Amino acid sequence: MSARAAKDIVALQAALAAEQAASYGYGIIGSHLDGRRFTAAAADCLAHERARDSLTAMLTARGAQPRPAAAAYRLPIAVRTSEAALSLAVTLERRVAAAYLGLVAVPDRALQRFAAQNMRESAVRAARWSGKTEPFPGLPSSSLR
Amino acid sequence: MVAEPTRRLALAAAAAGSLTLAGCTGFRALGPVPKLGADVAALERAIAGEELMVARYAVLFGFGVTGKHSAHLVEQALAVVTAIHAEHQAHLAQLRSRLVLPPRLATARPRPSPTPPSLPAGTRNLLAALAAAETAASDRLIGSVPGAPPALAQLLASIAAAEAAHVVLLDRPKAAR
Repeated sequence: MSARAAKDIVALQAALAAEQAASYGYGIIGSHLDGRRFTAAAADCLAHERARDSLTAMLTARGAQPRPAAAAYRLPIAVRTSEAALSLAVTLERRVAAAYLGLVAVPDRALQRFAAQNMRESAVRAARWSGKTEPFPGLPSSSLR
Repeated sequence: MVAEPTRRLALAAAAAGSLTLAGCTGFRALGPVPKLGADVAALERAIAGEELMVARYAVLFGFGVTGKHSAHLVEQALAVVTAIHAEHQAHLAQLRSRLVLPPRLATARPRPSPTPPSLPAGTRNLLAALAAAETAASDRLIGSVPGAPPALAQLLASIAAAEAAHVVLLDRPKAAR
């Protein structure tokens, strides 16, 4: 495998791991919400599952073994209330956006585009859940000048 | 995983290389033309787009947000617009910090300050027009990501994401779900 292809695989696996964790997390989030918020959580969960499946297919198409999801994840926020569920959603979206950063920077242009679009979707969902925006979604402050 | 911010260096090196090599032994010694083209063009487009966004929001502070709406809506809209304006200024500063041109080239290309298209009257119309501008800006930025060098691709993608997130607040200044 070329160095370029290896880079693609590493970045795809990182994005996949984040999408798997988000798919798991949204199950928990949904169980603490009702009405319109539940519907929104279900839709967001589906979006992450779709992204996860696309990433899995991209890895398989490149002859790589997609790393399987964990049976359970230690959530960054203990969720017992609907408020906590909302903060978990925001946290997961921020992690997903950051996880696509590697894929945005690979040489493969189709992967770059896919990653940028998914970063954007994550930032939009984070804004919907939090009612706030951040100037540089996904970017660590260390990369800013 | 953030790509090394090498843009500054790369541009400076390309520019310096083209100058020193020009005085040397002949055509073959020039080697390939320094790659100052596509990356710089993408960055300059992004800068021009962001300047226009900043100007668009700045206009609002000149005459305020008006219309036959409740004071409450106007107040919320102003808070949203102020926050977004600040984010655009941060975008512009980041983008500009990555564009380093040799002094002669930079001064040879003065940029007129952008005049934003006029905005419609009424708070709701105004927010809708801003949302449309944000969406268009985000799409343009996404389009410039493929093929951009790593660090610039990451910055452009992040700003594209931020512009799209602005639309959420402009659509519903009352905020969250």
